[in-house]
Formats: sequence, structure tokens, C-alpha cells
Amino acid sequence: MTKRFGTRVAVDELTLAVPRGEIFGLLGHNGAGKSTAIGMMLGQVWPTAGTVCVCGHDVQRQRRLALAKVGAIFETPACYDYLSGGRNLEIFCQYTAPVSRERLREVVDWVGLGTRIDSRVQTYSHGMRARLALAQALLPRPELLILDEPADGLDPEGMHELRQTILRLHAELGLTLLLSSHLLGEVEQICTRIAVLRQGRMVFEGPLAAAKQSRNWVRLVTDDFVAATQDLEAAGLIGGARDGRYVALTPGVATCAIARRLVESGRPVHELAREEQTLESFYLELMRAGGEEAAGRGDQHPSPLKSENRCPKSE
Amino acid sequence: MFFLQLRNELWKLFGKKRTYIGFVMFLLAQNIIALVFKFTHASSPMKRMLESAGHAADPFISGLTIATIMLVPVAVFLLPLYVSLVGGDLVAKEAEDGTLRMILSRPISRGRLLAVKWLAGAIFGVVLCVALGVFGLAFAGLYFPWGGLFVWMPEQNIFGVFGANSGLWRYLAAHVMLTTEAVSIMALAFMFSCFNVKPAAATILGLSLVFVSFILEHIPYFADYRDWFFTYHLHLWQLVFADRAPWWRVGQSLSLLAGFNATFFAIGLAVFHTRDIKS
Repeated sequence: MTKRFGTRVAVDELTLAVPRGEIFGLLGHNGAGKSTAIGMMLGQVWPTAGTVCVCGHDVQRQRRLALAKVGAIFETPACYDYLSGGRNLEIFCQYTAPVSRERLREVVDWVGLGTRIDSRVQTYSHGMRARLALAQALLPRPELLILDEPADGLDPEGMHELRQTILRLHAELGLTLLLSSHLLGEVEQICTRIAVLRQGRMVFEGPLAAAKQSRNWVRLVTDDFVAATQDLEAAGLIGGARDGRYVALTPGVATCAIARRLVESGRPVHELAREEQTLESFYLELMRAGGEEAAGRGDQHPSPLKSENRCPKSE
Repeated sequence: MFFLQLRNELWKLFGKKRTYIGFVMFLLAQNIIALVFKFTHASSPMKRMLESAGHAADPFISGLTIATIMLVPVAVFLLPLYVSLVGGDLVAKEAEDGTLRMILSRPISRGRLLAVKWLAGAIFGVVLCVALGVFGLAFAGLYFPWGGLFVWMPEQNIFGVFGANSGLWRYLAAHVMLTTEAVSIMALAFMFSCFNVKPAAATILGLSLVFVSFILEHIPYFADYRDWFFTYHLHLWQLVFADRAPWWRVGQSLSLLAGFNATFFAIGLAVFHTRDIKS
């Protein structure tokens, strides 16, 4: 899908599939197009081109079917402050379907709002508002939960609670979660799969593990790093170097081969250790490099929607 | 589901303090007017007018007459303000607060959402007119005795004298007709509320159009064209006070107001439907 606002392209030919059961992270800097993409998924923003299918239904043409099993939470939990929490839940839920008292009580207990549900929302703390927003999203028994920057404005305890809640939702209720964020630490701890947007374009999509291991970086400390990397590159053992102390191993090359080559060349090796790439370093590399190369490397599970511009029957 | 959603809209609407501003101001304005009539000689010109027309004045200086006198300025100036305030808020305030984005993540269609909101706004307009009529009679009745109705509306060439029962029926009929004014002005502000504007802007735009139409209608040289002006048809509630109510004119204005309302809703829906709802 593509979205243009005037001449500005907010989302540029984004093709994305969120597999059932994943905790999917949508990453990108501010203005990368994450919220616009989510807006299109929820039928709030009209795509300039392309279609969005949720739970097998076209959001634009079959809105009722597509969004019947979807819950959403946005960065700032917006509620009717002058009404009670319970009344807010009834109001929001009845835009999907009527809700029973028992279901309401069940969800309120699940999110931990307890007796405060009958108080006016204007008396709630930020954390309680976040719980109320979660409750309204859970009431219609969703299969897919979309969270747009849910950690914005939360304190460390709030972020910890949110992280635990997301993991509970996944484990206990079996929900598929789509989470947009620019808080890489949070995403790294909870997501199973990620997509990275940069200026509206997707520059990576794949499992989190693939992102973190997308390059075999090795930390190398030697007397002359530049000369050593030239030697290793000439021997075809590494594919690149960065920061004056990291080398990227050519696929299939083991660390011992590097050590042997350096020793045979008479270069002292003070330190040689495999470096697991953090999501942050991977993300920053994508942002710096423009991402074309990483996108090719990371897109290990091609989207089922790539070749056809229509909704599949299932998923 | 539709009625549940309508009930929810009414909860939202009547849960807000600002919704009650109109009711409070009616109470205040009507009490002040009734007290001024009671404790000054403001009713003397009325007496002279009745006596010069050959009627005994006292039976017509009644609660019903004072309530009808109060109705004119309130209906012309205050009622448009409060219905416009609510109409302008209905969509734009939710967009501003971020709750519209929460609603539109649900499977409700935009058309249905607007229909529910419009209906809630119309119900508010009707309730406000009922309150206006009841408060008027109640407060005028506190200070003046029950009696006949005397109405003088020079703009409509109306000079009417009615018995108590007939006067009460006309008073009630006028309020029924007044709901069309309330709903139409609400619908105008509601249309602007569907645009990507702040709630205050929607209210002001709605009121501005009403005032522009009012000004045009009152330029003497435009008298031949006043059928074209929105406000000309809003005054149809005054016609029920005529000795013989011109029902053809009432029907004409009602059908035109229905057309205005449908047009306002269609424009609002078209704009709202194409809008991108973002935070």
C-alpha cells in the first residue's frame, strides 16, 4: 500500500504480512509512516494505492468483517473523562457488538481495574487509563491487537507492566499482536518478528533473530586494524569492517580461520570474539545505510501478498 | 445495535457539562424577562395596544402572553447559539480529543456513525425546545395569572388575541415548529463539524452562516428574494400565531428545511467519508 499526503509520500509501496500468533514489531523513526500504516490497517486512513486485508477481509470494502476481531490501542489513551470507566467500555464496545455484564466484569478483572471501574476516568492515573484502553480493546474478544506506540509517556514501571501484559496477552489469550514503536529495547524484549520503516519504505522484514544475526560481526583487536582487514578481505574471509574494531565474516567462515590467517601473516591477535548484534545496532545500520542491502538480506519469509493485490481467503 | 449506539451518543452528549449551558441560560433569561415585566411598567404599551383594538387588557396580560414574548428573542438569539455549540462539537470535539480514532478502529461505518450522532444532536434540539417551552410557562406562571394569549409580531404582520385554551395550543404548536429551527441549525454546525476543523470553528461557521442569512433576509431591497434565505424558513414557528395560519407556507418551509437538512448531512458525510482520521 502507498499513502501520499499531497506531494509527500508517507508510506511507499509497503507490502507486509503479519502471521497469526506473532508479536510483530513495526519499527521506524518519528514520521517513518508507522501510524499512517496502522491507520490504513484500521480503515482510518485511505490508501492512495493498494489494499489492506485484516483477518482475510478487505478493510475498505468489508470493514465490518475485517475489524470485528480487532482491538486497537493508541499512544495516548483517549476516553470520555467525564464518564465512568465502565460506561466508557460499554460505549466503545458497542461500536462492535453488545457486551454482557459478565464479559465486562471478566475483562475489568483481567486488566486489574477492579472497583475503580465505576469512578470517573478524569480521576484515573495514566497507568489506569492505559488499562482501560486495553480493556476496551479486549472486550470484543479480538484475535488481532494493534498497539500504536503504546509505551509513549509511560514511566519505567509502566513500561515493565505493559511488557508483561503484552506477553500475557500472547501466552494466555493467544492473540496476534502488531506493535508499532521506536523504543528498540522494548521491541527486542517482546517481539518475535519485526519490520523496519524508513521514510515510508520498508527496509527490513523478518524474524527478530534474523535481524540480530544478520551479520556475523566479530570484535578484533590487533596492532594495525586497517592492514589486518585489508589482508582478510583480500583472502575473502571478511565482507566488511566498522568502527575500527569490528569485522563481518563472510558466510561460512569461522572465527578460527580469521585467527589462523592473522597469525600466519605475523599479525598479533589481542582479542577475537563473536559479537551478537543488538537490535539497536542493526536498526542504526539500516538507518545509515539506506537499507536496500539489508532488506534483501532480511526478507527471508516473502509475504504471501506480494504477488497478488487481493485478500487471501484465510489468515 | 443502532439504538444502543444512539443511547451511547446521548450518554456522551448529556454527560458533558457544556451541554447544559443552554438550559441554564434559558432559566436565567426567562426569569429576568418575567421579573422586568412584573416589576416595571413594561406591559403598559401592551395594554394600550389591546384597549385600542377594543379588548379588555387584563385577561391577556397573562403567563401565556409573557411566555410567548420571551420566546421570540430566545428563539432568535439564544437557541441558535446552543444548538450550534452542540452540533459543532459532535464530530470535531471527538476528533480533537482522539476518541474518534478509537471509535473508527471499530467495525462501525462512517455513515452509520454520523447518522447516530446527527440523531443525538436532533434529540438535543428537541429537548432544548421542550425545556424552553416548559421553563417559559413555568416562570411566567410564577409571576402572572393564567389567561388568554396576546401576540404581536410586526415582522410577520401578526396581531392575535386568543382564549387561554386556544392560546396554549398555539404556544405548544409553535414549540413543535421551533424544533425544526433547532434541528436545522444544529445540522448546519454538524456539517462543519465533519470537516477537519476545531469544534469552535465548526460552531462559529454554523452561526456565521445563520447570521449572514439573517442579515440578507432583513435588507429591505432583498425582500423579493427572501424565499431563498435559510433563516426565512426557520421562522415558520411564528406563523402558528397568525389568526389563520398559512399552512401552505408552513408546508413549503418545512419541505425546504428538510431539503436543507438532507443537503447539510450529505455534504458532511461526503467530507467525513474522504477524511483521513489521524492522531
